[in-house]
Amino acid sequence: MNFLFLITVLLYLATTIFHVLYLTLGERSEAVSIRSRIEMIAFWVTILAFAFLTLFIILWWIEQSYFPITKWSDSTAFFAWTITLVYLIIVRLTKLRTLGSFVMPVAFVFILISYSFSETTPHRSELFTTNWVIPHIILIILGYASFIAAFGFGLMYLIAEKKIREKNQTLFYNLLPPLDVADELGYIFILLGVILLTIGVIVGLFLPTYLKDLPWNWFDPKVISTLVTWLIYVVHIGIRYFWGWRGRKAAFLSILGFLAVLCTYVGVDLTLDSLHEFQ
Amino acid sequence: MWYNFHNKLNNILSVFCDRMNNIVSIGTSHHVAPIEFREKLAFSEEQLIESLHNLRSSYHLEEAVILSTCNRVEVYAVANPQMTTESPSKTLIDFLSHYHRIGVDMLKKWSYLHQNIESIQHLFRVTSSLDSMVVGESQILGQVKEAYDISRSAGGSGTILNRLFTKAFSVGKRIRSETTIASGAVSISYAAVELAKKIFNTLEDKTVAIIGAGEMSELTAKHLVANGVSKVIVANRTYERAVKLAEKFNGIPVSYDEDLSFLIDADIVISSTEAPNYMIERKPLAEIMKKRKHQYMFLIDIAVPRDIEPDVSKINHAFLYNIDDLEAVVASNIKDRHEEANRAEQIVTEEARRFHDQLQILEVNPTIKALHQQFQDIADVELQECINLTELSTSQEAAITSMAHAIVKKLLHHPVKNLRNSVNDGNTDHSQYVLALKQLFALDEKYDKEQE
Repeated sequence: MNFLFLITVLLYLATTIFHVLYLTLGERSEAVSIRSRIEMIAFWVTILAFAFLTLFIILWWIEQSYFPITKWSDSTAFFAWTITLVYLIIVRLTKLRTLGSFVMPVAFVFILISYSFSETTPHRSELFTTNWVIPHIILIILGYASFIAAFGFGLMYLIAEKKIREKNQTLFYNLLPPLDVADELGYIFILLGVILLTIGVIVGLFLPTYLKDLPWNWFDPKVISTLVTWLIYVVHIGIRYFWGWRGRKAAFLSILGFLAVLCTYVGVDLTLDSLHEFQ
Repeated sequence: MWYNFHNKLNNILSVFCDRMNNIVSIGTSHHVAPIEFREKLAFSEEQLIESLHNLRSSYHLEEAVILSTCNRVEVYAVANPQMTTESPSKTLIDFLSHYHRIGVDMLKKWSYLHQNIESIQHLFRVTSSLDSMVVGESQILGQVKEAYDISRSAGGSGTILNRLFTKAFSVGKRIRSETTIASGAVSISYAAVELAKKIFNTLEDKTVAIIGAGEMSELTAKHLVANGVSKVIVANRTYERAVKLAEKFNGIPVSYDEDLSFLIDADIVISSTEAPNYMIERKPLAEIMKKRKHQYMFLIDIAVPRDIEPDVSKINHAFLYNIDDLEAVVASNIKDRHEEANRAEQIVTEEARRFHDQLQILEVNPTIKALHQQFQDIADVELQECINLTELSTSQEAAITSMAHAIVKKLLHHPVKNLRNSVNDGNTDHSQYVLALKQLFALDEKYDKEQE
């Protein structure tokens, strides 16, 4: 079982390598035919990795009899799964495979975290597996995955804009989307992420009434951190809507938001005590 | 020069005179001849049709296609050496020198002659635009297609040239899709369009503003319109001139104003005035950008002295390219195309070889068919006699019939296999085999009778 999961991790490593290679191969000559081959390999390895991971999540689900998301290793695996899912949907809709070079490494890091924590398998109290806890987590993680996609578009925007400004046509210049596309798609995924995160948080707000034993604390580090993340994205949407902020500033904000997501999701868990902590 | 030419002719004569069908071509292009010579060789469409008939009737060529563009004149033909005693190459030279009244010496000096695989390879290079002035240009494919269509409808081309040209078009397409020789703009105006597409996903709802007149700005605007730009604004210091220029693009005339308010809807700006000072300065443009909610603006300055203050590029979402920037883009694209051409040449060589082999197999096929037919006929006749003479049951008859067919099949197995192999291995001259088979088995008589 553990060995098979290691294969999944290695598949994620492989797809990361192929995606990065695809991007950095250079523009001209022989690279073109090699690239199309690498593109195919990267795509199918992603599919395979995704299939493996899906299988594991189903297996864990059967084993635990509730959706595997409350443990730290389960949660990060599910996060990697949603990042891959969002990426595959984007590829299906826009053919922008370059995005994978930015988001698949993130998915790999999370699957690696999941693997290294899979040995520690403490059981959470029944509390956390009942009622609305699981949808609460799933929604928030889906929101995070949207933010990761927006982060990818933000990075692509910044690189493309830099290339156009510097009149520099070298290295993956042709692989990047037009500026307005990167900008718009980044915005769409931020909107989507905010909606999912908001619903997820609202579901969470009702939990203390269900779970009477919960030592609820409004100043829980994770609550504060989530609020900050949420605010960054809401401010992003607001200034874009009212002041027409787009492009570079929007791209920087989506990267800042990404860092906030990392802090909330990983940082708080590993450093501070929180009710929301995964184990 | 003349000596070499003569030698080549002799070679062609000696090596290929006993072959069945030769593809030969003669041509001249901007690579080998000056315009003064090329224009003498050029064919108008009527001349082309007339010449195609001529080539077939008076010069006894089996098939012919003539390609005549401003950069090249080429004649492709298929000759059956059994029909004429002259070498097909000499036939082509005679034809051109008679038709255009050009001395044979001149022709020999400024044209190239190819036969068989060389001809094939040359045509593939032409359709792949490897032989063009600008490598990777797209026009040539259309020009060859047009020439081929005329030749075909005039009855010039037949089985072999039809195959050859169809293949040449697909090779041309393959080269363009598998290599990058056709990518990257190689003219200023296309470079501008390509850059615009790096900023805007679609140009369809975009507005272009042209300030000042000039060939380059008009050309760029035309390309942008061809790529979907829907609205053209033409600005000039005097409104009357703006009206005049606007007519060319179906555009909206506006008079130039220093506060640049006419640029509020412009997504792409092309400036090419002869003004000594800046037409677009940073400050007013920054104001305009604010008013248009920081929508992207792509500014192209083709004027010398420059029309747009360089600091404009510091405004968020304003992207400025001047003539030098565009020229640098073009230069780097041309360099890339030339590097890529090497790869394309490899594909062409490979495809030409494959096509040549296929043609040869095609040459061998009728012989194999005729051989089979002859053996089968003999077997059938003998079989019938045998059946008529003896009284056989149905099962015995069937057994004898199948035995006769099996003998034919087994007898022919090795000769046919070896004949096919002789085409593929490239060492043995299969045409010798074909000739020998034809003579030994008197295949031609039979074949010719069937033709009648």
